[in-house]
Amino acid sequence: MSVIETVLQQDARTTTAPNPVDAWKPWHKVLFRIAFIFFIAICIPNSTEWYKLVLNIDWTHLHYRDLYDIARFGSGINLFGDSIFGSNLLGYANWITTAIIAIAGGFLWTAIVQWRKTEREEYNVMYYWLRAIVRYRAGIGIIGFGFTKLLPVQMPYPSLGILNTNFGDLTAQKIYWLSVGIVPWYQIFAGVVEITAGSLLLFRKTTTLGAILLFAALGDIVYVNFAYDGGVHVYSSYFVLLAAFLLVNDLPKLYNLLILERYTVPVNFYPDFSGWKKYTRFGIKAATLFVFLGWFFYLQLINFLYDPYKQPSVAGEKELRGNYTVTEFRLNNQVIPYSPLDSVRWQEATFEDWTTFTFRVNRPVFLDLSNGGGDPQRDLNRTFEVAGVGGGQRVFHYYADPKNHVLYLQDKFKANPERRNRAAGVGGDGGTARNLKTDSSLAATAALPDNWIPKEIWQDEVNRIDPRAASTRRNREFATAKNNEKRNRMILQYDTKDGNRIILHGINENKDSIYVVLDKVQRKYALSESSLKAGKY
Amino acid sequence: MPELHHTTPAVEWNNREKIFFRFFFIYFLLQVVPLDPTYFSSINWTQLHYGDIFNIAHYYPRLGWIIAIVALVGAAIWTYTDRDKRISYDRLYYWIRVAVRYRLAIALFAYGFLKFYPLQAPYPSLSNLNTYYGDYTRWKLFSLSLGIVPDYQSFLGLVEIITGGLLLYRRTASVGAFIVLIFTGNVFVSNIAYEGGEQVYSLYLITLALFVLSFDLKRLVQLLILQKPAFPNRFHVTLTKNWQRYGRLALKSFVIFFFVLAYAFKLSMSQTYQFPSTAGLAGAEGIYNVTQFSRNQDTLPYSKTDPVRWQDVVFEKWATISIRSNRPVIIDSNNTERVSAVENDRTYELEGTAGRHYYSYDVDTLKQVLTLHNKNKHYKGEQLVLHYSRLNDSKLLLSNDSLYVVLDKIPKKWLLEEVAREGRRKSIKL
Repeated sequence: MSVIETVLQQDARTTTAPNPVDAWKPWHKVLFRIAFIFFIAICIPNSTEWYKLVLNIDWTHLHYRDLYDIARFGSGINLFGDSIFGSNLLGYANWITTAIIAIAGGFLWTAIVQWRKTEREEYNVMYYWLRAIVRYRAGIGIIGFGFTKLLPVQMPYPSLGILNTNFGDLTAQKIYWLSVGIVPWYQIFAGVVEITAGSLLLFRKTTTLGAILLFAALGDIVYVNFAYDGGVHVYSSYFVLLAAFLLVNDLPKLYNLLILERYTVPVNFYPDFSGWKKYTRFGIKAATLFVFLGWFFYLQLINFLYDPYKQPSVAGEKELRGNYTVTEFRLNNQVIPYSPLDSVRWQEATFEDWTTFTFRVNRPVFLDLSNGGGDPQRDLNRTFEVAGVGGGQRVFHYYADPKNHVLYLQDKFKANPERRNRAAGVGGDGGTARNLKTDSSLAATAALPDNWIPKEIWQDEVNRIDPRAASTRRNREFATAKNNEKRNRMILQYDTKDGNRIILHGINENKDSIYVVLDKVQRKYALSESSLKAGKY
Repeated sequence: MPELHHTTPAVEWNNREKIFFRFFFIYFLLQVVPLDPTYFSSINWTQLHYGDIFNIAHYYPRLGWIIAIVALVGAAIWTYTDRDKRISYDRLYYWIRVAVRYRLAIALFAYGFLKFYPLQAPYPSLSNLNTYYGDYTRWKLFSLSLGIVPDYQSFLGLVEIITGGLLLYRRTASVGAFIVLIFTGNVFVSNIAYEGGEQVYSLYLITLALFVLSFDLKRLVQLLILQKPAFPNRFHVTLTKNWQRYGRLALKSFVIFFFVLAYAFKLSMSQTYQFPSTAGLAGAEGIYNVTQFSRNQDTLPYSKTDPVRWQDVVFEKWATISIRSNRPVIIDSNNTERVSAVENDRTYELEGTAGRHYYSYDVDTLKQVLTLHNKNKHYKGEQLVLHYSRLNDSKLLLSNDSLYVVLDKIPKKWLLEEVAREGRRKSIKL
């Protein structure tokens, strides 16, 4: 081979390291001032609601969601509302407002500095601290996000009712979330990636790696949210933005080293940490790691084991669980034969492991198109099984009275769901302002009187989960729960010997009397179950 | 080229580095050069279909352990006989890295373009939409979930194509390799989690990417993690002879022409290869309720549990009928990527799914006869000959000596499609 190899021997001394202080050009400083205002504004909570929530946290009986709420908040300058010219620009309007104010502020700052001739050289110190704030904001935020995946509860394994629903009768958003829910180990992997990225951001030397990982992972999630209409595009873009800011420091170096193939001297300015500063820094870091990695993991584990937040946590009646065919159906003593087109007769029914009963009827109803998220503590409001599911599926929560064999059933669909993710403000993943505007004509006909469930049946519901999962947050929500919501209601008597045949009879949501014979069917699913299951039932 | 060229040797290789290198040199050479004779003979070179280009690009030796052992023995022999001190390890490293880079880039283009023109995971068929969620395997649900968002699929394809492009250039190769690690790393984990069939192949690509990245890894760690000054690559190959320059240009052009331009052009001209393209019975596309079902003059009532009675029937736009009944289905669980030009091999619609029986059919419009062949490989030879007649626009009658089936078209609206059109913010009654 007549190839000449040329070896590039570059002298380190020919490329002098720029002095950290001299390196700032005037336009660098202007850009920096703008970035400083912008990133500080989007790194601190902007609603009084968040401060109230955080101040009211009971640290002695913590719920994982308390820490999640600390990590997840609305930010940016919203003094003029969250829209520009009446449009919220898919939720990004707040960023634009913040950017405009930051640009104006940056120029004003520059003007003042030049007028008063007080320009300082210590921009490296401020840049360091700005990066530190962004690193911690992004790190803690993504760790909070990642834990609900590390212990897979964010996207639950589909309930029987969903397994029995046609693929086309689900929304795109639902299909995506289920596609992660069916593989809990993959969900854990995604959680590991997010938590790793977050943890790397908490250390200066691994920040670049963490930022690249965060940028790649969350960039994909942004696209996923747009493609599937997932509703979390703004919050995921937020991390992409923060990661991009952190990378600005390193990309020129990488370009210099790899593309230009030049000797590269990293310039990293670290302020002096000695004496008390050293201990303060160490203390803050240790506290962050302890609370947001250690304690958070423990709380999330408890949640996964005993109270998976999207899935009802109270166990259902043991002898009632499974898939059933509706062998006989009488409405006001009239037998109605099975037809998939009948608009009254139930088709198939399921009792989940938890306190949910579903059946299918071929009659259109209003649907819950939210993503079934948030953090409702009461099982009635945990709507993942019904959210984004069509095809005539009806989903009812029940309180059982095992002594008298009575089920008190309430429709899980609610036209105006509770407001969720209050700490997150605008851009939360479900049940915020937009759900409050839902058409009020969807209100159900509550055919039964308001005191229809005896108090002794529902009163101790708050304690029906493992005591280890008890928390002040849960107690507070149960204490303020409304008991007389307008929902579809049924009271049904159940008779069964061993669960293979169940006879239900009583009054349905339209005050008609029904008599239903359910026979258990062993459905063999092609979808393989995972050994990893949330909750204890 | 920069002016700072010296012909002084680069950093000396120590013996340990040389031994490791010899192993990896042989190992990766055998990994990327196709030595399997059946590989060349399986491709129809005269009439190249894009599936052939895909298959060329999808090559990997299925003898991973044997190659590792061969490389180990080879490295030992090489070390023992290595008396020739004139061998430039820098040069060998350069060329093996070129081979691995190109191999990896070709692999990324192959899958990238299948996704970019969203063909790999097509939008679900009517039968797919009308199958219970639990009647699919994990892998199939993964594919269907991707199929409903063609834009996202194109985006993923674009990432792969750009990454492939980065690998074709020496200076951007490590960036490309790093993206492969993140992207294909995710594909690898997905394949394990969803029981997909490409975990070996994706792991193969990951090892190639690791090898490409390892060239710069030390300096990247030095610069980014240790935050110390780092030297760039200092070894360059300058081609002096014309045949070398033109040879290089020709090879690079060939890769770009064949695996990028020609392949992309052929793909852009085609419809999905997953579903058949032969048109079905004219005007029959839709979902039908089985209003009446008689067998041997015996009318069977609606039933979810009866293995004989049909529940609903789908006529696809193409010549496929699928029948939902409680008769169990032995699942065709193929889950590796097969790009087939032959219609009968296109079994994506039924792979990884239970709940429905799929038949391809021939229509005899004169005699009004449909001849159905079960598409599932586990039911080879199962055939149904049915006379058809249209009772009106939405009513079809299928019959033969023993069967008498009345089908009524259902004006089905899919929530998936209604919400895609209207958005999730409105209230929908369905």
